[in-house]
Amino acid sequence: MQDRSLSYLLLVPAFLIVLATTLYPLAYSLVTAFREWDLTKQRRPGDFVGLENFGHAFTEPGFQNSLWVTTIFVLTSVALTLVIAMSLALLLRRKGRMHTFTRVILILPFAMSPALIGVSYRFMFNPEFGVIAKGLGAVFPALEGVPWLASPDLAMAILVLTDVWHWAPYMTFMCLGGLASVPRETEEAARIDGASTFRIIFGIVLPQMKGVLLVTAVLKTIFALKMFDQVVTLTGGGPGTSTETLAFFIFNVGFKWYDMGYASALAWILTAIMMLISIWYVRMLLSERKMATA
Amino acid sequence: MSKSVFWWVERALLLLISTIVLFPIAWMFLTAFKRPRDAYSLSFDFSPTLANFATVFSDPWNLGDMVLNSVIVATVTVLIAVPCAALAAYSFSRFRVKGRKFLFFLILSTQFIPAVVIVLPFFLMFRSLGLLDTRIALIVVNLAIVTPFVIWMIKGFIDAIPTDSEEAAMIDGASRLRVIRDIVLPMAAPGILTSSIFCFILTWNEFLFALILTRRDAVTLPVGLVSFRTERGDLWELMSAAGVMITVPIFIMALLIQKHFTRGMTAGAVK
Repeated sequence: MQDRSLSYLLLVPAFLIVLATTLYPLAYSLVTAFREWDLTKQRRPGDFVGLENFGHAFTEPGFQNSLWVTTIFVLTSVALTLVIAMSLALLLRRKGRMHTFTRVILILPFAMSPALIGVSYRFMFNPEFGVIAKGLGAVFPALEGVPWLASPDLAMAILVLTDVWHWAPYMTFMCLGGLASVPRETEEAARIDGASTFRIIFGIVLPQMKGVLLVTAVLKTIFALKMFDQVVTLTGGGPGTSTETLAFFIFNVGFKWYDMGYASALAWILTAIMMLISIWYVRMLLSERKMATA
Repeated sequence: MSKSVFWWVERALLLLISTIVLFPIAWMFLTAFKRPRDAYSLSFDFSPTLANFATVFSDPWNLGDMVLNSVIVATVTVLIAVPCAALAAYSFSRFRVKGRKFLFFLILSTQFIPAVVIVLPFFLMFRSLGLLDTRIALIVVNLAIVTPFVIWMIKGFIDAIPTDSEEAAMIDGASRLRVIRDIVLPMAAPGILTSSIFCFILTWNEFLFALILTRRDAVTLPVGLVSFRTERGDLWELMSAAGVMITVPIFIMALLIQKHFTRGMTAGAVK
């Protein structure tokens, strides 16, 4: 068989899967976003209403709140994850038995179900019998009886904590991969010349990690924008609406209020945000590559 | 002197990190073996019991059904996604066809679409087809998330295999399909196995689809966790027992392929 036709033939099964499971539903939801469709009243899709669903989003406080919550969540979780992952990678790239052990167990948080992470942190921060809540209370008496998940700011902080616990290890492996491809000669030379570890890291290692850190940042941003599981199992969006992220809000609109048109419009707004970030990232990465080769 | 201080700081940091990673997992495992009374006290001093596991596997929780659902959904998803993805990955890696870059970008960009966007139309479609609360529905939507990811991963592994032996075999007159079967597949096997396990883990832990598309018959383990939240409050010792059932198979798999695992994670992303 000719390579040319074979090359297309090999793509067919995978492409059919993507077509059927992603592109078709996407088109379906785009059409729904322009319709009125209240599932509690109508079995079939209702009339076309133009941009009404999109317009509704920008006047509705629930959506605005979720945008704000998502922004806070994404910024803190991305920043913390990156700093921790990069620091861990610098610590773990050295050889040693404890280093190897730590690297091995770092796989576990990533393999753990995010829904379960939410559940177990909820248990540990329970003010009556949660081991972390009680432990902190015993060490710092001021923290005894703090209603961790019932306070809006603390609930958000714990939500970020679960997400960082889940993702920082994965991102550490990405940074370790990046560090492995950074040549060690300049570093060694600087060390012989008497440069401090601090200067070596900030002056030599980190600048060379720019590309990897950029990829890591964008991947983490996308994962954070999609984050959903822990909101359900840890906070349920509460207290009040203080941890209602955009993904959780869309879920509520679709499957609690059954407003399919509005939910589809919101889903497309979230997709648009992600697409913009991805495009921006590809452009940054390309200019970074250009500078590196120039 | 300063060197030894650094040495101790480094060990202390590593110990701290290991504790932060292991503690939540260890606490869940301990709680799973505690009697309800002990679960609400914080003592390490308790007589372990298997009663929680007996409870979750019997009526009304029936965790066994959920285990079965999870195993079937994850296995079938892997069996469909991985072979299709491997063929596509080979094509993307070895051939320079027209539109290849566009197709690859198209498939990759689906990774940026939030699951919530995909699940809305699927909910509506499965509802009119009468497929809500079935394993088939879960397998179909899981394929959406997993397939592009696996193509990306396997392509990374195939890219790393040198083309010399393939070319030599073709000069000797072997057909491309034979080359794929006899040379590429055996060499890519560790990568394909790693990708399969990755794919299994993603599907096994998947929560959003299962939460929306199942109600009773096709409920998977992560969604089953929510059912231990009752009017009498959260039944932590049962949740922990269910949590152990979710994590043990996945942890074993992840640790078995530990070396490849970290390489697979980074292979696609850093390039």
